[in-house]
Amino acid sequence: MSRIGVFVCHCGLNIAKTVRVSELAEFAATLPDVVIARDYKFMCSTPGQEMIQHDIKEYNLDRVIVTACSPLMHEKTFRKVIENAGLNQYLLTIVNIREQVSWVTSDVEEGTAKSKALLNGAVYRARLLAPLTSRVIDVNPDVMVIGAGIAGIQAALELANTGKKVYLVEKNSTIGGHMAQFDKTFPTLDCSACILTPKMDNVLQHKNITMLTYCEVTEVKGYVGNFDITIKQKARYVDHSKCNACLACTEKCPGKGVSEWDESLVKRKAIYIPFPQAVPQKPIIDKNSCTFFLKGKCRLCEKVCEQKAIDFEQQDTFIDVKVGAIIVAIGFDLMDTKPLVQYGYGKYPGVYNSLEVERLFNSAGPTAGKVTLRDGKEPKSIAILHCIGSRDKNYSEHCSRVCCMYSLKFAHLFKEKTSADVYQLYIDMRAAGKGYEEFYNRLSEENVKFIRGKGARVTESTEEPGRLIVEAEDTITSKFMKIPVDMVVLSPAIVPRAESRDIARLLNLSTDKQGFFMERHPKLAPLSTMSEGIFIAGVCQGPKDIPDTVAQALGAAAEALTIVVNDKMELEATTAMVNPASCCGCQNCVRVCPYGAPAFNYEKRVSEINEALCKGCGLCASVCPSSAIIARHFTNDQILAEMEGLMEF
Amino acid sequence: MTDFKKIEEKLKTEAKRLLESGEVTVVLCYGKGFDESHPMPYAAKAVADVDNIVFNEYCNYNMARYLVRYPQGTKIAIAVKAADSRAVIVLIQEEKVKRENLVILGIPVQGMKNPKTGEVIDSKTTCGMNNPVLFDILLGEEVHGPKVASPYDVLAEYEKMDKDVRWEFWVKELDKCIRCYACRKACPMCYCDPCFIDQSKPKWADKAPQSAGNMMYHLTRFHHLAGRCIDCGECSRACPVDIPLYLFHKKVAKDCEEMFNQQAGMSMDDKLVLVNFRVEDSDKILE
Amino acid sequence: MSFEPRILGIACNWCTYTGADLAGTTRLHYPQNVRVVRVMCSSRINPSFIFRAFQLGADGVLVGGCHPGDCHYNTGNLYARRRLATTKKILEFAGLEPGRLRVEWISASEGNKFAEVVEAFTTQIKNLGPQTKLKIPQ
Repeated sequence: MSRIGVFVCHCGLNIAKTVRVSELAEFAATLPDVVIARDYKFMCSTPGQEMIQHDIKEYNLDRVIVTACSPLMHEKTFRKVIENAGLNQYLLTIVNIREQVSWVTSDVEEGTAKSKALLNGAVYRARLLAPLTSRVIDVNPDVMVIGAGIAGIQAALELANTGKKVYLVEKNSTIGGHMAQFDKTFPTLDCSACILTPKMDNVLQHKNITMLTYCEVTEVKGYVGNFDITIKQKARYVDHSKCNACLACTEKCPGKGVSEWDESLVKRKAIYIPFPQAVPQKPIIDKNSCTFFLKGKCRLCEKVCEQKAIDFEQQDTFIDVKVGAIIVAIGFDLMDTKPLVQYGYGKYPGVYNSLEVERLFNSAGPTAGKVTLRDGKEPKSIAILHCIGSRDKNYSEHCSRVCCMYSLKFAHLFKEKTSADVYQLYIDMRAAGKGYEEFYNRLSEENVKFIRGKGARVTESTEEPGRLIVEAEDTITSKFMKIPVDMVVLSPAIVPRAESRDIARLLNLSTDKQGFFMERHPKLAPLSTMSEGIFIAGVCQGPKDIPDTVAQALGAAAEALTIVVNDKMELEATTAMVNPASCCGCQNCVRVCPYGAPAFNYEKRVSEINEALCKGCGLCASVCPSSAIIARHFTNDQILAEMEGLMEF
Repeated sequence: MTDFKKIEEKLKTEAKRLLESGEVTVVLCYGKGFDESHPMPYAAKAVADVDNIVFNEYCNYNMARYLVRYPQGTKIAIAVKAADSRAVIVLIQEEKVKRENLVILGIPVQGMKNPKTGEVIDSKTTCGMNNPVLFDILLGEEVHGPKVASPYDVLAEYEKMDKDVRWEFWVKELDKCIRCYACRKACPMCYCDPCFIDQSKPKWADKAPQSAGNMMYHLTRFHHLAGRCIDCGECSRACPVDIPLYLFHKKVAKDCEEMFNQQAGMSMDDKLVLVNFRVEDSDKILE
Repeated sequence: MSFEPRILGIACNWCTYTGADLAGTTRLHYPQNVRVVRVMCSSRINPSFIFRAFQLGADGVLVGGCHPGDCHYNTGNLYARRRLATTKKILEFAGLEPGRLRVEWISASEGNKFAEVVEAFTTQIKNLGPQTKLKIPQ
């Protein structure tokens, strides 16, 4: 038997004009279990609140019903009111007779009748309410950032500057990501390395950042505030604690591997650092091109190393790290354009993709910044093809957002560094960012030949051996064009990294149709995911330029901070729970939960819900065939009772 | 025409082999009943049990209903007809049983009979398929030839009915229900223990076999089986008061097929329709 | 005395309930026959709730949730759509008038849609008359 107090608010005349509030209170007093029923002008005012608190004590109330405005307005207010009077905050029900009654009718009879029905429903429900306590868990103050490109670096620095300890995990042997490969960045033509390398150095020097390069995440256990992560430190065969980065080993090494950093345009040594400003500066050995690993001979590096840092016996090691929040910033790949055979990438030596061209422009690249083809000659005529694989139903439906701008950049740089004719074949010119349209306008004065038509095909010229012919339709003049060029630059679609599927699996992240990580809400929560405590930033969330990437990285740092800034966090109280005695083991709940909160215990053969992950939506409770799941505060009993009360009069 | 004797012999041979070698610890099949037309569900556990195995045109029981009653990991051989094999697939989809723990003895058959009425059982009261969808060993020759009638043809008459007449029909039928729950016991997919109707929190319906409670029980059960019922018809044959439950189950199966483009128990790779969604699902299904 | 339907409304907190509140703040008027139960997500609705609603005498049941793709809990309403569709088909085959159960996607910004839907549904139920088939006689 409950002791219910009903408090009906006039809200001035807002409610009282259309609902006979005193009659409503009198009606409430007639209902079973209602011990006291009052009406008052402004229930949310201080005297109103005090009235409720006084009655709770005087009448020993164990349930409170406030009949007033919408719960979306004042549920939190009145929860605090009753909590301060010693009652659990979940023993409150709000009946909405303002937004959903008095404001939407002028018929007093109708309004009063409906209010009575709603109140009756609330009384039925209130009888079955149960006190709930939010569980409080400890929160680990550290954060892990996976991916050390510009997004990861920026997020790590931001968090480290607040005093938080950050683990920055990078699968390559250097941090910097793709941005470190670029030459100049649009639209200001800043030197990419000049703006990035100071940040990379900050990361190296920062006392709060633990840089874990050449590492991969292999297992993630736990939940928000308490993630338990296993990281594999891949064998470098160089002991970085001894190495002093003199790089003598790299001079003598006879081994030859293909340079990943230079997009396979040139070879590198087997013991190497990817580029001169790599952080850390210490080399690694690539087993697949090392003469010792392949043939058992050489060991020259070991001989010249004064620090005795070479260690051919080194194994992969595993590190366990505990953190409170995770930021994923693993960046992107360019789509492999070989399957689009019509463009001849991989077939004709004169066809390049955009990252390869960045390396050509880069003064530390394979051609020391000169624009020369693979045979060393300077191209006399260059075609830049937009949208290769992007905006394409057969490959990537999305627009890759940055290619128009970097293609314009390339046109400008080609004009600056060569005397070549430059043809720009585009579908639309997407120049939406700050200074972008102005940059595009500058280009029109640089004698770049813009052709509004997607490059259709690249073939070998039959008339001039070694030259290529680019075919397209100029849709403005409606003319078919065949342009003889020496060099073709493709702008391939930006696609998620191949590893993103593994990361998604490890962290229980969803990916969208294109494979990019899915945000919790496309507009209102672009950096959080459905996995509480795990955030995303940068191109791994979707193609974007550097300013937007940095903005997201800073935002993700703030998001992560909201988790780890406190040493304790309160979990949602209105979570779901499985009654194991009733669970039939169908696993419906496990299949449907968007948050992965239920998990099947294969030994006990019942489902168990991790309350740290549960958001209280109730989907599991409704798909449970044996009614084994208790969706706290919205139990089957409570809802059925409310329905009974609503339909009684 | 199906050679029942030949199938029975093959069934006995396989059962003996499987039990002798220890490949399985139990063979779910059919055994001698009090007469020819009333065989019993049978679990052969020892080689000596094999002598009791029978197979004839009255062996309608869906033996898949017994799969969940053995501890996980038990190696089981099971004799299945077409619909029964589909039930096995649904149980595998729901992870109630593992494929590698089963040896499925498929029985292609035509001409099963209802012992109560003597009538041939066809697509009017079952799924109408003749050949098992999943099996390890086939105990007879696949049935080919006559076109299989749609299992939904029988619904035409009821779909055409005026809704008030149809309502009266169902009230009359479901009022007969004595809440014996034989339908539940006979169904391979009804493995929940406790069943929702057994719960007191919330009390979905009174225990007494009255109209309102019967309606709540059956309507909810039709929903719980949506996309899972494989149309074996056993529930209706088990019903002591002959309620044509198969009609409703068929209608729900037909609707699910139309709305979600999927039939229950046809492929282990399918996802169960009511705990799944496709982004392409249309709002049209709500009209 | 003309028939005043008693309609059960089930509204999801984040979209439909908020949209209903918006109708209120905008002072849009609509008939007062719909009595709303607030749930966190349309996916909370167990089909058996709907059977029970009709047994309790509801003349109509109106379910409101977020637009598919916009669910606050990501995918809740996508499951709800399938489950409510099957529920509707079951009630129809049983012989209940098809128009008595209606599912609408009403977002938090669609106050006028809420008012319009309530108006239209109330008229629809008035035309169908009292629901007597599933209602348990008192």
